Amino acid sequence: MQPRCPICGAPPSAEAFPFCSSRCRLIDLGNWLGERYVVPGDSTIDPSRVPMDEDGGDSPQDGS
Amino acid sequence: MSDPSAQPPVSPEQTGADDYTGENIQVLKGLEAVRKRPGMYIGDTDDGTGLHHMVYEVVDNSVDEALAGFCRHIEVRIHYDNSITVIDDGRGMPTDMHPTEHRPTPEVIMTVLHAGGKFDKKSYKVSGGLHGVGVSAVNALSEWLKLEIRRGGKVYYQEYRRGTPHTGLIEMGVSTRSGTTVSFKPDEQIFSNLVYSYDTLAQRMRELAYLNPGLRIVLVDEREGEKRSEFYSEGGIASFVEDLNAGKTVIHTPPIVLSGSMPCPEGQEGEILVEVAIQWNDGYSENVFCFTNNIRNKDGGAHLTGFRQALTRTLNAYGNANHLLKDAKQGLSGADLQEGLTAVVSVKHPDPKFSNQTKDRLVSSEVTGIVNSIVGDRLATWLEEHPREARAILNKGLLAARAREAARRAREIVQRKGALDSLALPGKLADCQERDPALCELFIVEGDSAGGSAKQGRDRRVQAILPLKGKILNVEKARIDKMLSSQEIVTLITALGCGIGDQKDLSKLRYHRIIIMTDADVDGSHIRTLLLTFLFRQYRELLDGSLPRHYVYIAQPPLFKVKKGKHEEYLKNEQALEEYLLRAACQEAVLEVPGRPPVSGAELMDLARLASRYSRVIGAIDKKADARIVDAAVKAGALDKAHLAERAALDEALRRIEESLRAHQDDFSALHAVIQPDDEHGGFRAICPARLGGARKETIIDFALLDSPEFEELSRLWHRLGQYGQGPYVLVEGTSRLQLKQLDLIGAHLDAIGRKGLQIQRYKGLGEMTAEQLWETTMDPARRTLLEVHADDLNEAERIFSMLMGEAVEPRREFIDQHALSVRNLDI
Repeated sequence: MQPRCPICGAPPSAEAFPFCSSRCRLIDLGNWLGERYVVPGDSTIDPSRVPMDEDGGDSPQDGS
Repeated sequence: MSDPSAQPPVSPEQTGADDYTGENIQVLKGLEAVRKRPGMYIGDTDDGTGLHHMVYEVVDNSVDEALAGFCRHIEVRIHYDNSITVIDDGRGMPTDMHPTEHRPTPEVIMTVLHAGGKFDKKSYKVSGGLHGVGVSAVNALSEWLKLEIRRGGKVYYQEYRRGTPHTGLIEMGVSTRSGTTVSFKPDEQIFSNLVYSYDTLAQRMRELAYLNPGLRIVLVDEREGEKRSEFYSEGGIASFVEDLNAGKTVIHTPPIVLSGSMPCPEGQEGEILVEVAIQWNDGYSENVFCFTNNIRNKDGGAHLTGFRQALTRTLNAYGNANHLLKDAKQGLSGADLQEGLTAVVSVKHPDPKFSNQTKDRLVSSEVTGIVNSIVGDRLATWLEEHPREARAILNKGLLAARAREAARRAREIVQRKGALDSLALPGKLADCQERDPALCELFIVEGDSAGGSAKQGRDRRVQAILPLKGKILNVEKARIDKMLSSQEIVTLITALGCGIGDQKDLSKLRYHRIIIMTDADVDGSHIRTLLLTFLFRQYRELLDGSLPRHYVYIAQPPLFKVKKGKHEEYLKNEQALEEYLLRAACQEAVLEVPGRPPVSGAELMDLARLASRYSRVIGAIDKKADARIVDAAVKAGALDKAHLAERAALDEALRRIEESLRAHQDDFSALHAVIQPDDEHGGFRAICPARLGGARKETIIDFALLDSPEFEELSRLWHRLGQYGQGPYVLVEGTSRLQLKQLDLIGAHLDAIGRKGLQIQRYKGLGEMTAEQLWETTMDPARRTLLEVHADDLNEAERIFSMLMGEAVEPRREFIDQHALSVRNLDI
């Protein structure tokens, strides 16, 4: 899987990796400072406690 | 002038004396003004601007002929002494007597300021503007100027010295061609630098060729060797834009070309023509060339204003109408759309006004509205017809908008809070005393209480403490999201001391070990994920191995403290605890095995590990088959893939399995196995159906089962475990004797023995530890364990971070659990 710039989706450049450019790195910094990055927390119902279907374990999660 | 052809060349003195009339005084006064203040008319006389402008003025006259449709070829020659000749094949200057000045028209053109505009109006629809001033200014500022005109079958000649006619207009000969040739040498009394730049002239000639498709311009440099360039374009300004974007990645292709015309406002004759070519590239700089009647207006002006207004208005309108600008609340600004914009804006105006004689800026205010209206109208149509390109252009603008916003915010926050000021360290930071970064460590500690303990417990000479808190965000009621506040980010940047973004300078990094110390719970792993992602994205060099070392570590605080009598020990995780308990138990317990000496100590530990592993794998295989049957199959021994080849061998193996099951399982009576051919694997398989007193679920003993990694591992484990026979065993500990039928539960029994007399404390967070405990277990370089964070495999690291930061909770949990990053356990 080819990596993509986390900001614009373009192929990353060697200097600015994982971004395509210093521009997108700056946007990323703006996102941090603008409190736009959030690690989605657990739902109050803990999904790990819900027994999983036997065949469900391998299904792709990314749905891309 | 009665008969120019009859007049021989004359000396300046004579000319001055002969032509001394009232009119001439006026003329001389005009040219005197030019020589007095040449900058006003031709531009800077020191830096080369004015010098080159001399050529442009003359060439522009020829281009006017081209605009009028009479000139197709212009040649510019730089002579060995930096004098210049411009040759065109236009109609040639009019040579008749000027109706009001009573002198030959060329002389009026060459000596009277503003003369050109007056007589040009009728013959040229549009022209470069106040050319009369321009070319007479060139004359005034030339040591000498020679004019050669081919017109009406005749050749005329006139020479000037510093603006004054040196000869009359002489009829020299005959020719079948037409055109005007002007030669001049810039006056060294005026210009401090007389050397022409070939490249500068070439640049201008190239522009002119683009602006006048079909016109061929040749530039020749005779000064050293002979350099020659020919400029010719059929594609016009679209080719111009394409060539400006050569080597860049463009957002759309071909360039957008828009054109139109509108009548001049009331009170002015003629109409204004607008032609625009636009193409965005993926760069950041704007490259817009503005022209009025082919004259480059390097400071833009009215047309540029109108063009920018139209771009901003039209693209925003299109974006809003098509719901493409949802991310930009304010819409796109002009600056957003100027990023990566390459464009040529060319207007033709019958009577343009400029801010100064060098025409750097167009000030005809009516042009703004006309360009705005024409570009807006045509661009809207183009966008409707090119939705894909339109989207790409808007996306580019959106990125620019976000970047500008981000940059603004970053700059503002970072500067306001002094993140780049190494003297203004954040109050939360407890810095260390040492100043050599190579010796300094920064502990980023989750939570204030843990931060307090860490501050107390640290080695303050070399260890700095920065407490950070995750900010909790209740986006939806059902979920608690975490993030790092803007303040925390700034504090971190400040503490690192090496700036960020464009101002990043890693040589200023204040600590060569950045140690993330978080609780061993979900919150802790979230904060760690955020911090590592931030560091990876903004300070990648610290963890990607591109520098001589890695700088980022994860502290390993213990999860347990065990205490037996006076002895205390910290254990970092469940596994370490298990290991500790097993070790403790094996010091006490002895296993009695039939027909063998008793097993104890290291051998018992080993046996217990094998047995636990065996139980775990059996548990795993229970998903595929009845674990009891598989267990018996392994223990029956020598059941491998070879037995499937022959019915008799398989039959024999099944018999032994059944025997073993009956011996060890109380509720087991028979396998009821059916043997079938397995053609795919060239042999047989046995199917044991689920049946009361038999298999609990259908179990197929076949190639796939025997070939599975589980079965293979079980066989390997049993190969070693089997030497302890099949029981029964007795586990002896002190006075207690425990009978064991099988070894599978020995681990659990040993675990229980290990716990006897033991106090086990589980730390839920760093805050539960005292300062001394934190020091001893996690911070003391002599005793601690650190994980060194590597993102050497950038692709992999980015993939992981994207996932960790993403919406899917489940894979993130898995990755965090498995130590997503490639981390190396180091004792540092």
